[in-house]
Amino acid sequence: MAEDKKEAEKLARCAMCADMCKYSCPTYLATGRETLSPQKMARLIVYDERGLLEDKDGFMDFMFQSAMCGSCSRHCIYDDYDLRRFIHQARIKAFQSGVIPEDVRKRVDSYEKFGNPNGERELIDKGAGDTGFFISCSSYKDEDLLKATEKMLSKSGSAIRQFGGGDICCGAPLYYAGDMKGFKQASLKMKAEIESRRLSRIIVDCPTCVRTMTETYRQAGIELDVEIMHTVQFIEALLKQGTLRPRKTNKIVTFHDPCILSYDLAISSTPRQIITALGFSLKEPVYSADHTHCCGGAYGAKIGDHRLKDAVTSMRLNELRHTGADIYVTACPTCKSVLSEIDMRYITELVAERILAKR
Amino acid sequence: MRIKTYMSGRVTLPPGFIEGVRRIVGDEHLSQLEGDLISYSLDYWLYGVFLSQKGDLPALPSAVISPASAAQIQEIIRCAGEFGVLITPFGGGSGVLGGAIPLNGSVVLNLQRINRFLNLDELSLTAEFEAGIMGANLELELNHRGYSAGNIPQSLYCSTLGGWIATRAAGQFSTKYGKIEDMLMGMEVVLPDGNLLNIKPVPRRSVGPSLRDLFLGGEGTLGIVTRATISIHPLPRLTVKQSFIFPSIEVALDVVRRVLRAEARPAVVRIFDEAESGRYFPEIGKKVVTIFVSEGEPEYTTLDARVIRRVSRENGGKPSGEEPVDIWLQKRFDIGLGPVLMQYGGIVDTIEVSALFKDAAGQYRDMVAGMKAVEGVLEVSGHYSHFYREGVCLYITFAGIPKDPLRYYQDTWDAAMKATLENNGSISHHHGVGFWRKQYLERELGASGVGLLKSIKNAIDPQGILNRGKLIDGGR
Repeated sequence: MAEDKKEAEKLARCAMCADMCKYSCPTYLATGRETLSPQKMARLIVYDERGLLEDKDGFMDFMFQSAMCGSCSRHCIYDDYDLRRFIHQARIKAFQSGVIPEDVRKRVDSYEKFGNPNGERELIDKGAGDTGFFISCSSYKDEDLLKATEKMLSKSGSAIRQFGGGDICCGAPLYYAGDMKGFKQASLKMKAEIESRRLSRIIVDCPTCVRTMTETYRQAGIELDVEIMHTVQFIEALLKQGTLRPRKTNKIVTFHDPCILSYDLAISSTPRQIITALGFSLKEPVYSADHTHCCGGAYGAKIGDHRLKDAVTSMRLNELRHTGADIYVTACPTCKSVLSEIDMRYITELVAERILAKR
Repeated sequence: MRIKTYMSGRVTLPPGFIEGVRRIVGDEHLSQLEGDLISYSLDYWLYGVFLSQKGDLPALPSAVISPASAAQIQEIIRCAGEFGVLITPFGGGSGVLGGAIPLNGSVVLNLQRINRFLNLDELSLTAEFEAGIMGANLELELNHRGYSAGNIPQSLYCSTLGGWIATRAAGQFSTKYGKIEDMLMGMEVVLPDGNLLNIKPVPRRSVGPSLRDLFLGGEGTLGIVTRATISIHPLPRLTVKQSFIFPSIEVALDVVRRVLRAEARPAVVRIFDEAESGRYFPEIGKKVVTIFVSEGEPEYTTLDARVIRRVSRENGGKPSGEEPVDIWLQKRFDIGLGPVLMQYGGIVDTIEVSALFKDAAGQYRDMVAGMKAVEGVLEVSGHYSHFYREGVCLYITFAGIPKDPLRYYQDTWDAAMKATLENNGSISHHHGVGFWRKQYLERELGASGVGLLKSIKNAIDPQGILNRGKLIDGGR
């Protein structure tokens, strides 16, 4: 109870703040809608808990419009607070009462039927060794990325077992939909998949999967006895080993920081070091690293609610286009797909072109 | 709706107005959803924020309209004029005097969709933005290109350029870079009749009274600023941080006066009284700490810092190093305590006033003494934070846990305003009037001043459509 009271006080504190983080919130900026700013969302949650709201469906609908990207948490004046926790609790209530957006429902239905949000798909399980490479649901659909990953892994000098597809998914779509029963099952299944392969380390190319399989699993009481790293951390290690071959080029690269990679995993300098080590010049957009903006994919990948995606994606595309770069690069398969209008590439694709065979 | 309002309620809007506005902005940008009405019900008027935790709000808008351009605002205002609908402009909603509260059944005109960086003129050192851009993003855009506007208010992360203009805002670095009126070069304003006024950006003009100044501090009662051109500065190449401990507020004020008289122009000067020093710098304790930040080109900055050091030392200042400056720089946006205290029945607010140097110390002492005499007081503290060759801005923070919150709030404000007026000061330096400070307006401007302001309002907005209930009554 004391813990609940403490958490309630944190939420009430947020609801009376001056909205000092809203300048960074991509949903607020792209829509210009005060209601979607973090402090106003907190106020609505407080009012809902006090029974002051009549339009319950309207309230639930607002809760599903957050990108859950973490910009508010990253820029919060309080260092012990994450509004996403409370929005998520509201979504759990929405899910329990059956008031969830149609797109979210479809995604959950797909999960119930196929064990993943994409629909029917083949299981990938190849290679050997105690290091695994988990092919996320977003990269599963990306042939160029899969080929580049294959090339990078095969020349890395390490035995790596790739797995993914089929009904293997970290469960993030269920978590963001508020389906905690489904999420728990998905996380236990993921744990079993990892244990059956006797892996001690897993490389993951999707920042949301990394966060889910670490922080979110821990919060749900699931501990994976395995080291989990993002692809850029694996590439960084290849660089240190001298496996990558720098080649001078005049090409200018703009790196789009995926929101979860920057805000939650605190990784922003590593991909830049990789890009410059590969011989490219970097040109930064105004909003990068700590101030990056979500690509809009979060609405699709994590929530399933596409209503806001176009506004947020369009804002991010404009911000990136202003650099006039030759190549746009990111480190999230969803970002790559959502921002495909500017020929976005995953960082692995750059690496695959420049990797030396390990002797 | 279960939400209670204590100032004014919603009205039923004429169907013709709703249809007209929907045609202008599209269905999705006119909202009467409960969540939207609640979110645009209040700005950062702290007494209102205190009451909001229980679900009591000052007013709810009758609708929220979110235009995407000045042209749409023109059409909306004409439509409002035709149907007699009142409009409350809403920028970042960070104002602390209730200037954006949608009183009298008005509709909110949400300006947050108009938020783009437009252009940079490096030759002339100006940049143009749409008025709804957040301060922090304005700075990020400029910093990325090697510049700064130099306007860094505590509300940087939640206020807009349009809001800065509407309230005559000032930032923490104002002693060097000036206030918003020093930065504003040109602007575009939608007038209450729906016409567009363009004031082109030039360094100065002599073409009658300055029309620009009608909207600087107009608080959205005379027009709606939609874009503005401001002056900018190259990012400083050198920053020098210094701090000194002085034996009293009076000595600290005199040192800063002498520093400015000697032509030094530090960007930041802050004199903290004993209470604020104790909170900010516990290792120094309850003393009068003064911090200075000099910045710019290395040659001038070095000289600036040298003048400050010499004058401070000659007048009894004890150097306390860079650390207090770093602590302040780190904590300067931290408003975290207020929302915590309010949950325990605490009333928290700030009051900023101005005075000439001759009156500055007396104003501080009388304000603090008067405010501390109010029943329920917990703490009253102050700092001086914007300096001129002629005088200062005094910024008072107060907190109390009273039995009767409204009585305490009213009495504390009354005591503060009485003390500042008795010391020949102005009732506001940069927060503006909104609705709450209107009650003291006549004592500031006199009957003639209020009458003149009313005449201006009547002439520009005869129907009284824009932001009724704020700054000045008139036009209806």
